[in-house]
Amino acid sequence: MKSIKPFALLRWLLAIVALGVMLAVLLKQSPAPEAQPKPTPDTAKPANNPEPDTAEEVFGSPLPALQSLEQLDLDTPPARRGLDLQHWTTAQGTKVYYMRAEELPMLDVQLLFAAGASRDGDQPGLAMLTNALLNEGTNNLSADDIASGFERLGAEFSNGAYRDMGLVRLRSLTDSDKLEPALALFAQVLAQPAFPAKAVTRVREQMLAGLQYRMQRPGSLASEAFWSTLYPNHPYGNLPDGEADSLKVISRADLQRFHQTYYAAGNAVIALVGDIDRDQAEQLAQHLADALPEGQAAPTTPDPEPVAATQKQIDFNSEQTQVIVGQQGIKRGDPDYAALYLGNQILGGSGFGSRLMEQVREKRGLAYSVSSGFTPMQAPGPFSISLQTRSDQTELALEVVNSTLDDFIAKGPTQAELVRAKQQILGEFPLSTASNSAIVSQLAAIGFYNLPLNNMQLFLDQVQALTVEQIQAAFAAHLDPAHRVTITVGPPQPEEDATSGESAPEATETASENDATKPAETKP
Amino acid sequence: MLRLIFVLLTLPLLSFTAVANESRQPTHSYTLDNGLKVIIREDHRAPVVVSQVWYKVGSSDEPPGQTGLSHALEHMMFKGSKNLEPGQASRLLGSLGASENAMTTRDYTAYYQILSRDQLPVALELEAERMHQLSLPEDEFLKEIEVIKEERRMRVDDNPNGLAYERFLTQAYMASPYGQPVIGWMHDLDRMQIEDLRAWYRAHYVPANATLVIVGDVYPETVKPLVERYFGAVPARTPVPIRTPLELPAGGERSLVQHLDVQLPTLMLGFNVPSLTTSAQPWEVHALRLLDAVLDGGHSARLASNLERGSNIATSVGTHYDPFSRGDSLFILSGIPNLSRNVDLAQLEQGVWEQIDAIKKTPPSAEELARVQAQLVAELVYSQDDINTQANRIGALESAGLSWELIDQDVDALKAITPEQISDVARRYLVRDRMTRTTVLPLAKEAQQ
Repeated sequence: MKSIKPFALLRWLLAIVALGVMLAVLLKQSPAPEAQPKPTPDTAKPANNPEPDTAEEVFGSPLPALQSLEQLDLDTPPARRGLDLQHWTTAQGTKVYYMRAEELPMLDVQLLFAAGASRDGDQPGLAMLTNALLNEGTNNLSADDIASGFERLGAEFSNGAYRDMGLVRLRSLTDSDKLEPALALFAQVLAQPAFPAKAVTRVREQMLAGLQYRMQRPGSLASEAFWSTLYPNHPYGNLPDGEADSLKVISRADLQRFHQTYYAAGNAVIALVGDIDRDQAEQLAQHLADALPEGQAAPTTPDPEPVAATQKQIDFNSEQTQVIVGQQGIKRGDPDYAALYLGNQILGGSGFGSRLMEQVREKRGLAYSVSSGFTPMQAPGPFSISLQTRSDQTELALEVVNSTLDDFIAKGPTQAELVRAKQQILGEFPLSTASNSAIVSQLAAIGFYNLPLNNMQLFLDQVQALTVEQIQAAFAAHLDPAHRVTITVGPPQPEEDATSGESAPEATETASENDATKPAETKP
Repeated sequence: MLRLIFVLLTLPLLSFTAVANESRQPTHSYTLDNGLKVIIREDHRAPVVVSQVWYKVGSSDEPPGQTGLSHALEHMMFKGSKNLEPGQASRLLGSLGASENAMTTRDYTAYYQILSRDQLPVALELEAERMHQLSLPEDEFLKEIEVIKEERRMRVDDNPNGLAYERFLTQAYMASPYGQPVIGWMHDLDRMQIEDLRAWYRAHYVPANATLVIVGDVYPETVKPLVERYFGAVPARTPVPIRTPLELPAGGERSLVQHLDVQLPTLMLGFNVPSLTTSAQPWEVHALRLLDAVLDGGHSARLASNLERGSNIATSVGTHYDPFSRGDSLFILSGIPNLSRNVDLAQLEQGVWEQIDAIKKTPPSAEELARVQAQLVAELVYSQDDINTQANRIGALESAGLSWELIDQDVDALKAITPEQISDVARRYLVRDRMTRTTVLPLAKEAQQ
């Protein structure tokens, strides 16, 4: 369990120690590793699959000479775990989502608040600083007390703040001598942070160091430029990590006000998955809701204004150039989501076999990874394609990306690609509900974005019914090239030097923590 | 993050008997006639399964001048075999909704697929085929080596911390091949030939040098015939003998000053220590693991409490120790000084040494050890939430030449360690003769000096 404190970023830096010895081939980079309410069907009811596909249709022709393929039953969708999802609302208006999982003696609790950086107002960094300080002291407990309190029970506390949401998580064993004290401490940390002056100073300094660290990472710079270009007059345009000037003057009163307003019971979603029964779940949720400040749900984030197509180069001393191409996409619950998701799997969301991977990596060896994805958020989130390539190949890579995208928008997928992608989504589904941690994240996202409890089943049904024409129409409707933004971060290109003019805009601005394709909205 | 590392590398192996007996899934282990070791663990929570093949070959096996071979071969394993065109297996698995990947480390190269339980035969057949009938076409290699160079630029050359760590390892390992980068030096990638990879494949991709790990919603009665059908057909061959990477016991204090394009300075101290595979006295390794946990096992551990909070001289500080590597290991302490308080690297190092000296003098308290044990017990349960995590632990142990059954015995080994033994290993191993220090400084600082 990774702690999502601001300095987790810096710890990540040290983690190179471990990661440096392990290289993955990155075959299947998921476009936006989000808690995509990817479907949780409540029963193992097969999705409607009108015409069973033949192996040749799914795998292409000629079929490789494999015994196992011939024996595969493609008419029956893969078996699914039965998921008994439940939902209720507390007296305070806190939405609760619950699934019992008795197999392991543990409980996952996840709370989401509409308390993300989009609520920062004119104080960039406020949401993240508030979230990071939750476990840094209450009226009668110090940061040391809280850390050792959880750890001596074997409980894991984690937290984080993104654009849409503030997140707080607890994982505990369910033996009562562990669970009860862990939950009591958890409730106190959530509801009564004291924002002690010393802790505020320390965490602020860590966030400032984090901002500095971002400046040495071209990927962070590209991501920040992408968001700020796409959302110039909108809260999504600001960096959740804040700005130095703003962080330095955030006061204890600001933090208390933000906490009282946004960490309120009416603004919270609680998701519970683990070895507790419904009665225990109700009591537990009620106990948390009782502890939280009273208050209503925050207003919905407004839609952004559209932006015109533009290209920005940020100079950076590196061998590779980071490339992000994209534009504003859709919000959660958009009726075109299934069509866009399915189409994106084919375009660049499914690793090898996707068009972008074929064109950029397999045919030309231009990049180690390339992927595309929609990030549906409360307000329309981005669609983006990202890659890194040796700087002198940047122009070629951009040409390939743009022509692949244009072709897909104009013609949509082939029938063969469609059949394959539908099969793929059906097959992926059981994997997405295999662990308690995956289920709790999806449940929380369903609650946060007001999606129906049977969202996952609805999604699968919609996907199976889609046609080539519907996908093409959805891409054409949502990805008008007149709004396409291109960001490059790397050494200045010779051509641009010659013409001078529009080079390097404010490269000094701090970048956004996540790659553009991984806005942490969905990360929980 | 270092806490995460601790969790990944240290905790996995712990299982306290009471918990283990009631919650451990049935696990079956056997060896095929051709020498392939098979380990099957049942986990019936969801109708999915992970299949992994681990080869005992990694960058530490590579001769100087040919670094990066194992990792490059890993990439080429996706470029076709007897019945499959380049990339076809991945497209096929993708069509099924399976998730697949591969990884290369200094000790092993591993491949995995996570899929619906009914699709397991496809994963087994594909993996068995490329175990002995890989195509290794030259035209594909010429494109793929460019992808690998892009990967190196991304991970190392454009990542100053990756670069600094790569150089640090060359100093910390004076005799051991662990000093070589897994991804390979760029000049070695430049001269790598397809023939080199063909030879590497023939030498190391042999059933007797591999382990098949299957974890998920399966039963041995149905899986064993499948494994026999697909992997039983792979001919037996004699693998190249495995050499344990050994390091000098005390090579002398080393220091490497690096000026790089970083924004924040970094300190790293690495001490040459044994691993469970190389130590003549396994208790020392278990004591080092507990030392690691006392220093950095969570936010309440000593480094976070005393240096990040407390004196507040560090923005971030932590430890890392891999006790389950095939060869001699490193115990690493690293950190970033708190620039807001004008702490420099020397002051940070002094603070770190104070923590080391304190534990050398005074054994950890009963409370500290109780906290470590509580985390270990809980982590054992949490780790069972994910089938891939479980399979990784089994496969990594086997590939290091250790037995997966250590998972069950590990508890007792750790419980047997006394607080005094923890201080003892600190005194024995965290000494200057075994230390490599690297400092990473921003380029601007260099200009000022």
